[in-house]
Amino acid sequence: MPASSEQVVTQVITLTGDLHARPAGQLAVAAAKFDADVSLTVGDRTVSAKSVLAVMGLGATSGQQVTAAATGPDAEPAVAAVVAILADATAVGG
Amino acid sequence: MNPDATVGIVLVSHSAALAEGAAELASQVAGGTVPVIPAGGTDDGGLGTSAAKVERAIKQADRGAGVLIVPDLGSAVLTVRALLADPEDLPGPVELVDAPFIEGVVAATVTAAAGADIAAVRGAAEEAWHARKL
Repeated sequence: MPASSEQVVTQVITLTGDLHARPAGQLAVAAAKFDADVSLTVGDRTVSAKSVLAVMGLGATSGQQVTAAATGPDAEPAVAAVVAILADATAVGG
Repeated sequence: MNPDATVGIVLVSHSAALAEGAAELASQVAGGTVPVIPAGGTDDGGLGTSAAKVERAIKQADRGAGVLIVPDLGSAVLTVRALLADPEDLPGPVELVDAPFIEGVVAATVTAAAGADIAAVRGAAEEAWHARKL
């Protein structure tokens, strides 16, 4: 089996609330623990999920679609972690 | 150095209220696992900076992986530099970073919460110069 270091995983989620500071922080902390490059795309803007300021700067709001993408050996758990936070945290706000 | 320790953050502001508020915000955004210690105002509670407060804050913030100091305005830098010139009583490494105050401390604290070393935490604070809000 070839090395899986080039694994690319993408998942789209529709936000159920606005992406505020605390969930953005939670998301960046989680994303930074993975080796994979992890990005978030909203509309035509793509930022690193590991940069809390960039994630907050997206200004993502309820009803918008966010694409989480990761490239690297642990891309799959990285995307799963980011999507889980987007699903939970935006339901609460803050 | 303990590899599991997080980098500590110290906020040096001319205003105690500003340092405390910024520390609270950064700590909450990062999930509360990183020591973010405010050192604001003079010893008698006025506007200004205090080397004694900064020294206490550095010791409080130290978890064995270094401490990053974020100053609010230029003259806070003078207080910190004077303190760091004679580091024998301080835990190491203690570094002063040139970063925008609130964006820098939020970025640094989040990066520290992910377990990054002091160079990466410092880099995150410096990158905050390029972060756009709009």
